[in-house]
Amino acid sequence: MSAVRAQLLYYPDCPSHERALELVREALEAEGVDTEIEVIRIETEEEAERHRFIGSPTIRINGVEVDPQPHLPYRLTCRTFRHEDGRLSPLPSPIMLREVIHQVKQEEEPSHGSGAG
Amino acid sequence: MALELGKPIVEFALSGVDGKTYSPADFADKPVLVVAFWCNHCPYVKAYEDRTIALAKEYADRVAFVAINANDAVKYPEDSFENMQRRAKEKDYPFPYLHDESQEVARAYGATRTPEFFVFDSNRVLRYHGRLDDNWENPAEVKQQYLRDALNALLNSQEPPVTQTEPVGCSVKWK
Repeated sequence: MSAVRAQLLYYPDCPSHERALELVREALEAEGVDTEIEVIRIETEEEAERHRFIGSPTIRINGVEVDPQPHLPYRLTCRTFRHEDGRLSPLPSPIMLREVIHQVKQEEEPSHGSGAG
Repeated sequence: MALELGKPIVEFALSGVDGKTYSPADFADKPVLVVAFWCNHCPYVKAYEDRTIALAKEYADRVAFVAINANDAVKYPEDSFENMQRRAKEKDYPFPYLHDESQEVARAYGATRTPEFFVFDSNRVLRYHGRLDDNWENPAEVKQQYLRDALNALLNSQEPPVTQTEPVGCSVKWK
């Protein structure tokens, strides 16, 4: 099992979370990361606040959010992702997911040839 | 409970982003009227925005489209009237974009989602209710053009092949 932690937070009113879960699974696999995805259901505004949830789906890899949008309030709704081609979508693109996973993975890996000593 | 098929249109008088007030009578010159519950912030509206604009332009001589935003703009500030004006201008909406601030119109229609389409015939009777097509994710993979098919049928005085589908999108944000 990897040290990489994946979380998917969703608001059940939004129809995209099952597809989002598939996309996260596919991206983890493509990056060679073997880990469970923690799925968290958000149903109240209090839960949205507590989990810093700006909309469904929210995906975090080791706490790093895919497409963070810090200007948005915490709330119960569906969120928009802007893809590399400029398209607006209720789901992140595979590239967006893989970039965050790749970045986190690199940070997790022990550095080689530190030159210490 | 959404307005039932076969029921007459629910009247409204709502302010548009252009400063005018619109009611169904303003579209009496078109044999078909599409009332779309809409908003700014929802990604499903954004996913369907270009498709809806294209359809409205394509059928402009025979079908009137009107979009209504009833979302609570306090909790969802992207849906404020000023942001509605901005969005309509940015995307050059070819249809009136109306603000249902009291949410009474959305409640009267029984709208639950954005986007959600109600299509009325020349007698302003509801003949189709639901989504635009069967693939919000990828326009290239659409197999069922529910709204287009309904428009074509009604313009040919026929029954839409599919009269009701489950709308897909964000919930209407009630106050």
